[in-house]
Amino acid sequence: MDLFFDLKSKKIGYSRIGRIYLSSKEKKYFKSPNIVIPMTNTLMGNINFLEYFETHPIFFITKQIFLKIGFLRDKFRNTSFIYSHSGTIMRFKEILDENPHIFSQNNVISIIPFNIPTTSIDKDFAIQEINNHIHLAKSVLEDYPNSNFGINIKIFDYSELIDLYIPLIKGSKNIKILNLADLFDNLTNFRAILRVIDKIKHELNNNLVLMASGRLLPKYYPLLIYLGFDLIDSSYMMYLSAENFYNTVEDLLPIYKLKELPCPCIACSGKLKKLLQDKYSQEKILLLTLHNLISAKTYMNKIKQFLDTEDYRSFLEKSSHDDPILYSCLKILDKFHFENIRLETPISSSNTLVRCIGSISYNRPDFKEFRERVVRNFVPESWTKLIIILPCSATKPYSESKSHKHFHKVIRKFPEFPDFQEIILTSPLGAIPRQLENLYPVNCYDIPVTGDWDQEEIQIATQMLIKILKKYEDSIPIICHIKGDGYSLILENASKELKNVFYFTDTLENLTSKDALKSLEEKIREITENKVKSPSINTLFTNTWIRKLIKIADYQYGIGSGMKIFENGIKMITDRTKKKIKIIKAESNENLGTFNVNKGQIELTIFGAELLFPFNDNINFIIFDGEEIKGNNLFRPGILEFSPNILPRSNVFILNRNKQRIIATGNAVIGSNNIRNIKRGIVAEIYEKR
Amino acid sequence: MKSVNKNTSIISKIKQIRKRFIQRKTENSDSILEKPVAFWIKDDRLLENRGKEFTIILRTKGCSWALGETGGCSMCGYIGDSNIEPVDPEQIIHQFDYAIETKESELIASDDDFVIKIFNSGSFFDDDEISEEVRRHIYDKINSYEKIKEVVVESRIEYLKEDKLKAIKAALEDKYIEIAIGLESVDDHIRNNYINKGLIYNDFLDALNLCKKNNLGVRVYLLFKPPFINEQAAIDDCIHSVNSLINLKVNTISINPVNIQKGSYVERLWYQNRYRPPWFYSLIKALRTILLNIEEDVSIRIISDPSGAGTKRGIHNCLKRECNEQMLFLLRNFVLSQDPEDLLIDLPQCDCKLEYRLKKLYI
Repeated sequence: MDLFFDLKSKKIGYSRIGRIYLSSKEKKYFKSPNIVIPMTNTLMGNINFLEYFETHPIFFITKQIFLKIGFLRDKFRNTSFIYSHSGTIMRFKEILDENPHIFSQNNVISIIPFNIPTTSIDKDFAIQEINNHIHLAKSVLEDYPNSNFGINIKIFDYSELIDLYIPLIKGSKNIKILNLADLFDNLTNFRAILRVIDKIKHELNNNLVLMASGRLLPKYYPLLIYLGFDLIDSSYMMYLSAENFYNTVEDLLPIYKLKELPCPCIACSGKLKKLLQDKYSQEKILLLTLHNLISAKTYMNKIKQFLDTEDYRSFLEKSSHDDPILYSCLKILDKFHFENIRLETPISSSNTLVRCIGSISYNRPDFKEFRERVVRNFVPESWTKLIIILPCSATKPYSESKSHKHFHKVIRKFPEFPDFQEIILTSPLGAIPRQLENLYPVNCYDIPVTGDWDQEEIQIATQMLIKILKKYEDSIPIICHIKGDGYSLILENASKELKNVFYFTDTLENLTSKDALKSLEEKIREITENKVKSPSINTLFTNTWIRKLIKIADYQYGIGSGMKIFENGIKMITDRTKKKIKIIKAESNENLGTFNVNKGQIELTIFGAELLFPFNDNINFIIFDGEEIKGNNLFRPGILEFSPNILPRSNVFILNRNKQRIIATGNAVIGSNNIRNIKRGIVAEIYEKR
Repeated sequence: MKSVNKNTSIISKIKQIRKRFIQRKTENSDSILEKPVAFWIKDDRLLENRGKEFTIILRTKGCSWALGETGGCSMCGYIGDSNIEPVDPEQIIHQFDYAIETKESELIASDDDFVIKIFNSGSFFDDDEISEEVRRHIYDKINSYEKIKEVVVESRIEYLKEDKLKAIKAALEDKYIEIAIGLESVDDHIRNNYINKGLIYNDFLDALNLCKKNNLGVRVYLLFKPPFINEQAAIDDCIHSVNSLINLKVNTISINPVNIQKGSYVERLWYQNRYRPPWFYSLIKALRTILLNIEEDVSIRIISDPSGAGTKRGIHNCLKRECNEQMLFLLRNFVLSQDPEDLLIDLPQCDCKLEYRLKKLYI
């Protein structure tokens, strides 16, 4: 069966939403990510287990009894199963022989086991054992070419040993699931874990389903999903139940400590409460197992919901506080794996509030990408005569906030205000030129404001401000209308690095108080009258939104792009919902594109995109194997080449085979790294085609 | 003796532990060397019927494999019973005679037939451990007891030479002789990489044929749940090994669940929580599966006499006495009767059965 996994949507980090097809006969699928629930005789004997998990789409089985055709095709015909044997691979082979057609024709896939050795002595021992496993697995894969398999991968804490598996995985078409069986057994080794994930994501086919099993605690689940796992085996919950641990999601508690049960599940609302203090009770352990599996599944449901519709990263950050190791892991991932993860992270997101809850949020990949892109692609307007530095506001975009409306009232008293460059200082996004305030994530982030800035926030903002201000001539004066130690420190640090003259308004009271605004006005007047008297060279681009669109286009398509598209003047039409701004070429009324307010990005038409020829390195393009695209989606098999820096949800232009004509424009669903490493599935959604 | 294990990691670990253990060992006094390590008489299964075993463990120099370049087997700590330095043959004779003389009255008075098991925590046919002279003395002595119907000696296969086998057969021609060989598993990988047995299957087959050719019975030891193996793999390996050995028509299979012996590598793994001795449930499960599939005309004796059973160092379920005793009762009854029905009796289930089921994937 060729069809196995389809990537449907890329989310932040390595996380993704997809479909897994287990039945070759009918194209039935279940959505990933998901949790795999163990099915055992013991659990099946419990009516509540059957009732609760009846509709669960995927189970893990280890008993041959569940491999009967009647069972798979009758009661559970709409369910998928992952089978593995918990003993030797030799016995596993016998089981395959005993069930010749089960695995090739039914809703069950088997995972080639790697149960022994249970532990390793040292690296040499691990290498030898892995090579032996690979040798045995290869023979299974070759003996059953018509069946799909998963393969158990163990690395015994040596991250580099993942390399040993790569030739086998690349060379075997019937491997569909990579089950990392011991990767998370020792989470303290998180640096090694992240190296393994990088390797898998960058070297292997991304259509392979990634499954995690082993000693997994529910509190790891959000991180596992962020790392791109599609399936999480919850079998370890059975072990923990036998050890008398109660899953509260945040942690596992020994059951004897519980006075009240913090869960309304069928086990907790039933007899479990009465059995809490029983030292030895099979009934208690069974109910505990039921609770632990139910709570793991409910947690996964929550994760799936947040991944699908909300800002998943905020959810992850919140849950990473459940364990210092999770927190460290996320920090290291942000710090040392950004280059890999940026190509996997969507450049925009719509309708979501991005909550930053602390220092863990400062370097989330979409923020970091935003900061780097602004520094790289923002160039000053040549007519800039004055820079005004303002604080951020809680309302987004800033210009719609009360405070910024006050500032604007003052600034716009000056007819030359289009020659002023406003820069907003904020945490953790740094320094934001006014023109970019409608971009994701500036248009939707939220951070707790106390007036106190920590060292890292100050450093991020300072560095970014310096980099932006250094793009301006030294002679341009800078007015700072700010208040508070954090802001002052940033500007103090910046002023040391720059030759420009800094002017500070009097802001003893509130920044929007009469006196403060008056001081701002006086400062601007003083400078415009005394320091910069020359007449403005800017006559075309005085409209704020035109100024914004030029800089947004630069941000999206590289320096100079904005002028290329809009230099001959444009008209804008805002739709009734105010969610879309149509951009039209002034002289010919031709449609150049649309600014999508929710997504915070421009979507160019083919006509608009053609103005960008010849393409620079920042432009995302895909070369299609043909002259015409049918349908509204572009799939992987039709792609010949693509630019190396496509981020999910970025605007892409589809070129014909000889690269001379833009035949469609669309938004990427996945990034370059994924496009390179998948063989099937959707790559871009097309919104205009010839 | 050469190592067949390409992996030096386990060898160096075992050697290191072995070396330290031997260094710490105190020297045996002459009085200790005059007496065997242990000897006992207890019920046992003979070829045709129930009987008694008379086991004598002699103190000799010690297993050449354990004292050699490869450090010996990962689960074995029997070197602790050995002298390390060569033991005077006279002293070994005295040890044997001491045991025989002490138990002589019982040996004569009993109505049961006996199997005598002469163990030396090494190889009976290794001249460095037991000399020709000692062996001859032992044969003569055994011949003087009519009640002794069966004789079991154990040896690594490299010492199973035709002349020695012919000699024992000739000397004990009225007795049924079984040469016990520690094969541990039919799987070469498990045997050599996890146990460091230094024995390849084909060499075992040659040794088996040599014994058969000389009309000697063969008893094969299988190790239940060697280190690095989980419970289900232990079951699988045991079933696979027994089935293979039945096809080879060996006479007796002795299944030995691992017990944590002092000074062994497995003891270190156990201390580090990286190994747990097998659960009784696994052994019973393996035996049941084996027996349910054995064809009726097959003649095989399957025995198991676990050392340290019911303790945390030996095969055990939970540490409740009744639970383990129940299991041992089941096992002993079966071994003595060789009747599969004895293993199928439903006994009251201990709470730990559920624990075993829930934990099985991870133990």
